Amino acid sequence: MKQLLQTRVTGGVGDSAARPDGALKVRGEFAFASDLWADRMLWGATLRSPHPHARILGIDITEALRVPGVHAVLTHEDVPGSKRYGLEIADQPVLAIDEVRYAGEPVAIVAADHPETARRAAARIAVSYQVLPPVTEAEDGQVLRHVPIRRGDPDATAELVVTGEYEVGMQDQAFLGPEAGLAVPAADGGVDLYLATQWLHADQRQVAACLGLPPALVRLTLAGVGGAFGAREDISMQVHACMLALRTGRPVKMVYGREESFLGHVHRHPAKLRYEHGATRDGRLVYVKARIMLDGGAYASSSAAVVANAATLGIGPYDVPNVVMDAYVAYTNNPPCGAMRGFGAVQACFAYESQMDKLAAAAGLDPVEVRIRNALREGARMPTGQVVDGPAPVAELLRRVQAAPPAPPRSDDPRLLPGGVGNTTHGEGVVRGVGYAIGIKNVCFSEGFDDYATARVRLELISGEPVAFVHTAAAEVGQGLVTVQAQVARTELGVERVVVATADTSVGSAGSSSASRQTYMTGGAVRAACAAVRQRLFARLARDPAGLWLAGGKVVSVDGVVADLAEVLGDDPIEETVEWRHRPTSPLDPHTGQGDAHVQYAFAAHRATVDVDVELGLVRVVEIATAQDVGKAVNPQAVVGQIHGGTAQGLGLAVMEEIQVVDGMVRNPSFTDYLIPTILDVPPMHVEVLELADPHAPYGLRGVGEPPAISSTPAVVAAIRAATGRPLTRVPVRPEHLIG
Amino acid sequence: MIPSAFDYARPSTVQEAVRILSEAGEDAKVLAGGQSLIPVLRLRLAAPSLLVDLGGIAELRGVSESGDELVIGAMTRHADILRDPLVARYAPLLAQATATVADRQVRHLGTIGGSLSHADPAGDLPSVSLALDAVMTIAGPAGERSVPASEFFVDYLTTAMQPGEVLVAVRVPKREGWGTHYEKFNRVAQAWALVGVAAAVRRENGSIAEARVALTNMGTTPLRATAVEQALAGALASADAIASAAASAAEGTSPSSDVSASAEYRTHLAKVLTRRAVAAAGGIDAA
Repeated sequence: MKQLLQTRVTGGVGDSAARPDGALKVRGEFAFASDLWADRMLWGATLRSPHPHARILGIDITEALRVPGVHAVLTHEDVPGSKRYGLEIADQPVLAIDEVRYAGEPVAIVAADHPETARRAAARIAVSYQVLPPVTEAEDGQVLRHVPIRRGDPDATAELVVTGEYEVGMQDQAFLGPEAGLAVPAADGGVDLYLATQWLHADQRQVAACLGLPPALVRLTLAGVGGAFGAREDISMQVHACMLALRTGRPVKMVYGREESFLGHVHRHPAKLRYEHGATRDGRLVYVKARIMLDGGAYASSSAAVVANAATLGIGPYDVPNVVMDAYVAYTNNPPCGAMRGFGAVQACFAYESQMDKLAAAAGLDPVEVRIRNALREGARMPTGQVVDGPAPVAELLRRVQAAPPAPPRSDDPRLLPGGVGNTTHGEGVVRGVGYAIGIKNVCFSEGFDDYATARVRLELISGEPVAFVHTAAAEVGQGLVTVQAQVARTELGVERVVVATADTSVGSAGSSSASRQTYMTGGAVRAACAAVRQRLFARLARDPAGLWLAGGKVVSVDGVVADLAEVLGDDPIEETVEWRHRPTSPLDPHTGQGDAHVQYAFAAHRATVDVDVELGLVRVVEIATAQDVGKAVNPQAVVGQIHGGTAQGLGLAVMEEIQVVDGMVRNPSFTDYLIPTILDVPPMHVEVLELADPHAPYGLRGVGEPPAISSTPAVVAAIRAATGRPLTRVPVRPEHLIG
Repeated sequence: MIPSAFDYARPSTVQEAVRILSEAGEDAKVLAGGQSLIPVLRLRLAAPSLLVDLGGIAELRGVSESGDELVIGAMTRHADILRDPLVARYAPLLAQATATVADRQVRHLGTIGGSLSHADPAGDLPSVSLALDAVMTIAGPAGERSVPASEFFVDYLTTAMQPGEVLVAVRVPKREGWGTHYEKFNRVAQAWALVGVAAAVRRENGSIAEARVALTNMGTTPLRATAVEQALAGALASADAIASAAASAAEGTSPSSDVSASAEYRTHLAKVLTRRAVAAAGGIDAA
């Protein structure tokens, strides 16, 4: 009876509740940040450095100010507060001061009454540069962070040894909605900023510091976000728009164009990785030695956390007694790199899974079998010494994808062959291959970071019906978080009607919509706030609250209905605000890398089937089977959507997506030249969702967003290797790599 | 970005269009389906003072027969070409290539005349017009003139048309008894061709009597692979003969090296695609 009452609410946890933004987005009616508008609004534009490295000898804004319609032209001298910002290290200038460190670095900003006027004026700013030689190789750069990990015997030896060197190109988040925001000056001397971001309070902290204002005077409100994937975790136009608004006394809107967007946000770190795996003759791992070098680009961003992930997750979901890992990230004059879905785990996974295939070949084992023999299990230790104290179904996930129905045989329909829509083959030169991979990702923030989320929940009678109002600062970036918050409130409070307020900084921080953490963290915070509301509600009843629950607008117990919720609420709504934390983590020992650094581990496996036209070098991914443990599918449809999307993003890294940087210059800042998979390039997917509850997490859930983006890349490449017999040590694999 | 301000004219006859264009001089641009021009305007790569929209000229749209030729109005949209029975019967190569142009949305707005006049060497239809020996009908202040496709494409994004002139029709010889095939290499669906090959082959008995082979994106204009055509003329209709002829597909070409592909790789593609396209056009098993 109790169970029945608990689960009866429609649209609660576990239901595929509909998203409020879904139909609007399909119809093109959703308002994105780039659609923001205010009366008397000015437009901002940014002048950026054309050089990857140069000294600034002088900036002359005279000609720009003369352009009719221009209201302000600002440089570093006009930054009112801190001249630098950064997520972890404040090393990035709001506007370049005496030196530019990457091509695309903002140097000056303009506000004008028309976007084109602003752009033209920016072009008339005369900057005198003394060009300096750029550092374009991470090996030549200053090390930003080194994360060593030492476990077991560093001199362990083994019968089978496989080594490899791997490289990962610079992937872009390639969201569709470019950076955009509207800053409105306020009568109290502060500013209201409406924008697309992943983390309102991190923006607020940095913007306030740069403006020299107390945070209370810098109020941020989330506007429609067109994708994020990590690229909106850093500051882009936020400080600039506010500076221009405060200077001109008028609202200022800034929207990046596509090319500017490629220059205006951080990317996935390019990586060079060297691995040595030692194993017994029957393929059991004895040791892994690895060296990972990430190119951090010109500024720190979140590099320090990315490299820690690469290190701590760097041998994959395997139980290995002896590990020597050194992961580095270095400054260069390439574009800054930071957060992107997978966050350090992606680069490592391509290398360690390539190594596992090599080991399988050396041991004469099936690639899945060698992985299962070494699979991490619950209770095993990570290289950091941390015990995996939740389900770790690594072997099970591998078995699932192996047992999935095989891809259909090669088609007779040319449109389903490599280059299908271009008619390039009727089967000539086409070879099939199948590859497997599995990956591991941490969920939530690590290394002792005080990671929390805040939720405010009010239960109130509206026209006689109980309604739950949920207010958080958590950024809906397209993942479905608004829906999740409503689902949690429905389940916890037993009400149908939930209103989720627009996210803003008038409520405490929710932390970032990153690290696959927001359903865990903000979901957990909403749940905790609902529990606090429930507790106060039950206190109004003249009886022991133990065993009481809310369902269908009633207070119930195992014996049946205790009271009507509306009567208990009356005219006296209940509101509670709760700051909720996951269990604490520890820093890594700086010399040994030992420590319980992570909150939760998540796992996904992929099997990719490809047809390769080996004469043309063209790959078609025919089918992907994937299995992922999500602990609890809070919204099953959204879970599958995340798995589809992440898998496609990994496919992109495998065969097409790369920002080409030559001598510090981005060569392909457009969707004509930066290729992303289209709907015709993404294959049918077989998705298996496991729900093995994590006892430490709300509802037992596990972060979902990142794992699918991790192992799909090596699975696709393994399939191409199987088809072509080529070593393929670099992603993305280009057609040229497959011919000759 | 927002395009520069421009004046806009929407004539209802070709004559009127020519008159407006002649008066405006070099600063006017013709707007057909807008699938190339509008992006160019939005990127401010061009800032014409006047756009002359041909969308109101009914006579420019549609496919008809005229003796041994198909006459395809310049404003005929890609989607119209794809479902036209005359094209399907007499110029299936055109339909096949048109099906590879960009995406469905573009094909419903873009026009054959716009695609040819834009003369992007990475466009699919210029090389097809070469392979089909198409002839362009151009209207100007002095009346109409005809320019064969082989003389129409002059340089990168440049045709033989003069200011004041408008492409009104493409005349395509009816090719019955020819096999044709278009191959387009792109790394993602709906992208521009890295290289494309249009092939038309007429077989007689066991031999190839005649062949037309034209290359997309192997130079600043679409190019005829004349060495291949010569080697194929009279050759045995065999996989070996085709492979041998296709080896010279890149002769006389000047492909670029850019972020999408190296010149060397484009050369490789031209050879393989030519071999496959000719084999497919000739109905010869090349595998």
